[in-house]
Amino acid sequence: MSADSNPGERRASNPGERRASNTGEHRASNTGDGRETPTRAVDSRGGNGVFGVGFRSLLRREILRFVRRPTNTFLPPAITNVLYFAVFGVVLGQRIEDVAGFDYIVFLLPGLVVLGAISNAFENASFSIFHGRWNEYIHETLTSPLSYTSMVLAYILAAALRGITVGLIIVGIGLVFTPVPIAEPVYLAAFMIVVPLLFASLGVIGGLVANDFDDLTVMTQFILRPLVFFGAVFYSLEILPPLYRTLSLVNPMVYMVNGVRYGFLGYQEVDPLVSLGVLSGFTAAVVALDVYLFKRGYGLID
Amino acid sequence: MDPAIRTDGLRKAYGDVQALDGLTFEVDRGEFFGLLGPNGAGKTTFINVLVGLVRKDGGTAEVFGFDVEGEYRQARDRIGLAPQEFNVDRFFPIHEVLEHKAGYHGVPQGEAERRAEEALKTVGIWEKRDTRFDWLSGGMKRRFLLARALVTEPELLILDEPTAGVDVQLRRDLWRVIERLNAGGTTILLTTHYIEEAERLCDRVAIVDSGRIVEVSTPDELRSRGTDQVHLTLSERPAAVPALDVEGVVETRLEGSTLVVTAQGGGTVAPDLLRELEYEGYDVLDLDIRRASLEEVFVDMTRTDEAAEPMGVIQ
Repeated sequence: MSADSNPGERRASNPGERRASNTGEHRASNTGDGRETPTRAVDSRGGNGVFGVGFRSLLRREILRFVRRPTNTFLPPAITNVLYFAVFGVVLGQRIEDVAGFDYIVFLLPGLVVLGAISNAFENASFSIFHGRWNEYIHETLTSPLSYTSMVLAYILAAALRGITVGLIIVGIGLVFTPVPIAEPVYLAAFMIVVPLLFASLGVIGGLVANDFDDLTVMTQFILRPLVFFGAVFYSLEILPPLYRTLSLVNPMVYMVNGVRYGFLGYQEVDPLVSLGVLSGFTAAVVALDVYLFKRGYGLID
Repeated sequence: MDPAIRTDGLRKAYGDVQALDGLTFEVDRGEFFGLLGPNGAGKTTFINVLVGLVRKDGGTAEVFGFDVEGEYRQARDRIGLAPQEFNVDRFFPIHEVLEHKAGYHGVPQGEAERRAEEALKTVGIWEKRDTRFDWLSGGMKRRFLLARALVTEPELLILDEPTAGVDVQLRRDLWRVIERLNAGGTTILLTTHYIEEAERLCDRVAIVDSGRIVEVSTPDELRSRGTDQVHLTLSERPAAVPALDVEGVVETRLEGSTLVVTAQGGGTVAPDLLRELEYEGYDVLDLDIRRASLEEVFVDMTRTDEAAEPMGVIQ
């Protein structure tokens, strides 16, 4: 076997044959060990695809990480949203006229759901990856035979799941204050899956780019929060002067909030189907970028 | 049959520092192989290339015939690494950390639990299974790193300074485990600062300096390259250092009535020395040959002064 000048190129010989010869030797060298399996797990077909055992293990680890620390992950958004509903919805909301024909608190709810879902999805992905880099235990995943796609998808899906869960918690809290209509369940489900996925995949980039914990704070404080507050969470675009209304359309948050609001209330300011398409495309692009960054080892390896 | 590790012209630079500078060598299957070198010689960089934590600039590296970049999944699945640094998941009790690691390697949950238990028992910290890594003592942390490397049942076990900062008893425990694995067919790649450990355990050692292999050999062979000391106790203290015309003698000096002869291959020059001294009228009461230690040879080969004689006298 000659030295391969192009390390990225796959060997010409049949991997199946190599596998057979390799494991044969391995077995022979482990005499008397009845447990030795004939093929190493990663070589065998089946449990080894993108969503195989390795992927599921990492996904499980990622989910358990936030599920087991509810006081750090679920309690803060719950408390924050009780405050939002109480102050903006009830105390101030009673003094605000109906917005687009809805009680202010009902109009507000979809925005709060989006706000909670995206910030938690982003925070989970960015924190998990950054913390793993900081303490170097992300090496446990990086030195394993997981494909880069599997790694990235496990991080993103777990983070999105946290975002969705927080979204549900906020709906639950909202129900204490007001009945919550669901006008377009399919749209609602679609937006509530795509939007957290998008922010989970953005969180992966955040976790790779950050150099210290303050960087993570800066990302949420200076980027996420302004986009959210000017993203029609708390008001309808109708109330804005035409110039600011047009400017708002540059903010991607507007389309997310609008989409989820359409799901709950059936009320739209922007075409939800177009929003959904654009957001899905954007999500796919960011996921692809995540996988590329992992392959390159950006922020992960020397 | 592909060797356990094969590298050819491996290069890696960090800015101006050439960490790996054309590293080329092979480790056979089943070998207990030592990688010795001063700090900054490139040992850890080399290991990290194999497991995918460092991207090489040039050259090739294969593990059991699998390219570490092109076929990284097959290569990584065969490697168990106990690193120098404590890079362990802090969120979970240690038995779960092991189950996760086994899972990443495609081991299903039930089997992963069984392996985690076995690995923790092997290194003797089973009773700490529900503890998180941060709460383990220093020695237990070392043990855990070995358990984590074992839980994937690797064909190649890489140990980067496994006994750094570990007490004697624990070192012996760890070596017993590792020697048993090696006897079972696992290839071992070891880096250590304790050269006497490498001398005792390794089938072959490579001496690395400035990112290159200086020498690959058995510990015995390397020691034979060094200079031995022959201590000859004479019945009377001679007035002057006797002139000895024996091939291989590098230096002769007197310590009281003991003549200390530094020579290449102490065993072979000793009879000649005795004959010569007797001929000159000295009475030799005692003879003691002190072989060069691997440590001396190592220091000699890796000393920073490049111009130094490769096999000179170490004093």
